Amino acid sequence: MELSRPSTVDEAVAALGNGAVALAGGTELVPLLRDGLVRADRVVHLADAVPRGIDGTRIGAGTTLAELEVDPQIPSALREACRLAASPQLRSMGTIGGNLLQATRCWYWRLEFPCRLHGGDRCHAAEGVHREHAFFASDFCASAHPSDPAAALVALGGMLRTDRRELPVAELYRLPTEDDRSTTTLAPGELILELDVPAPEASVYLKAMDRRRWSFPIVGVAVARAADGVRIALAGAAPIPWAIASEADLDGATPLPGTAYKLDVARALVRRALAEV
Amino acid sequence: MGATLLETLRGELGLSGTKIACGEGHCGACTVLLDGVPVLSCITLVHTVGEREVTTIEGLREHPLVRSFVRADALQCGFCTPGQIVSAAALVGAVPEPSREEIRHHMAGNICRCGAYPRIEEAILTWRD
Repeated sequence: MELSRPSTVDEAVAALGNGAVALAGGTELVPLLRDGLVRADRVVHLADAVPRGIDGTRIGAGTTLAELEVDPQIPSALREACRLAASPQLRSMGTIGGNLLQATRCWYWRLEFPCRLHGGDRCHAAEGVHREHAFFASDFCASAHPSDPAAALVALGGMLRTDRRELPVAELYRLPTEDDRSTTTLAPGELILELDVPAPEASVYLKAMDRRRWSFPIVGVAVARAADGVRIALAGAAPIPWAIASEADLDGATPLPGTAYKLDVARALVRRALAEV
Repeated sequence: MGATLLETLRGELGLSGTKIACGEGHCGACTVLLDGVPVLSCITLVHTVGEREVTTIEGLREHPLVRSFVRADALQCGFCTPGQIVSAAALVGAVPEPSREEIRHHMAGNICRCGAYPRIEEAILTWRD
């Protein structure tokens, strides 16, 4: 396998595609390469190409979660989401851009069952063991989106800049369909370069985990209050970060037998988060 | 896939103090410092290390934490201990008198199968004694 380290965005974009994949912190990609879930002849290391650092509301996509969690310029929902996202070592390695693109923790997908996300015609989780899975939008694929920062950024109304467009963080994601199994709208070779996160009046991130310290969310709830109202987004709830308009929207959830408990957790956390902002 | 930092340390350089346990970035046994920051060497491709300084447990032989781990009897099987001491060294380097909460937050990425956590915490609280 060949590793390149381009020094500009243009060089990095040109190097991608044709069996080459982008590497930032590596906490997601390296295990996926080792397990054969991602196959690549060439790895393009983005450390010198993608911006890193925080300047007011702007965040380089190469900024690590550890850098975000301690910076007073960052809204508290995003800081807390980063702080709770992973172990200290993973937070020191992982970048915010990479975090937004992480794959599901669905064990069927990770074990390469021929599920719908892998192009197959079944959701093994819906039929099988799914206590860590979705309770919204689970009819095609029951995976749950694992990113805490993604939910925080959706609630905060964050924007993304890629090498070719600007878009709200919420529009980075799409539900997988029969015709397109991808969970993001990123084009092949498209690179996330920068985020812009407007300062809210108040924001909070609350997370239920299987254990007290870091693990993937059972449910994460981000709430941000801005001049134009309150926004709520959930992690661990649907195959993509899931925005709801109010607590009442939880009545429209479609839990699986094994994820009904998550709805109770979500309801409690949404109430608590709304009370805090 | 290219070689990891861990494979290079243990295989090429003979520095076998850094341990491999889960091999997928969950447990912290393979923790080393890159320019003083704890990272997981089992999921770090060696060619991405560049000019950064690597500190392994071999480089911390004289660190007071080694003695405080012995004093506090902060291990049973000892397999996670190199990673524990490397992470703890970064913590006390940045925060010389960490609180219990700071220790628990900072050490959360180092899992101990024997459950020696209370004594690990004790060793870090008393590292300068």
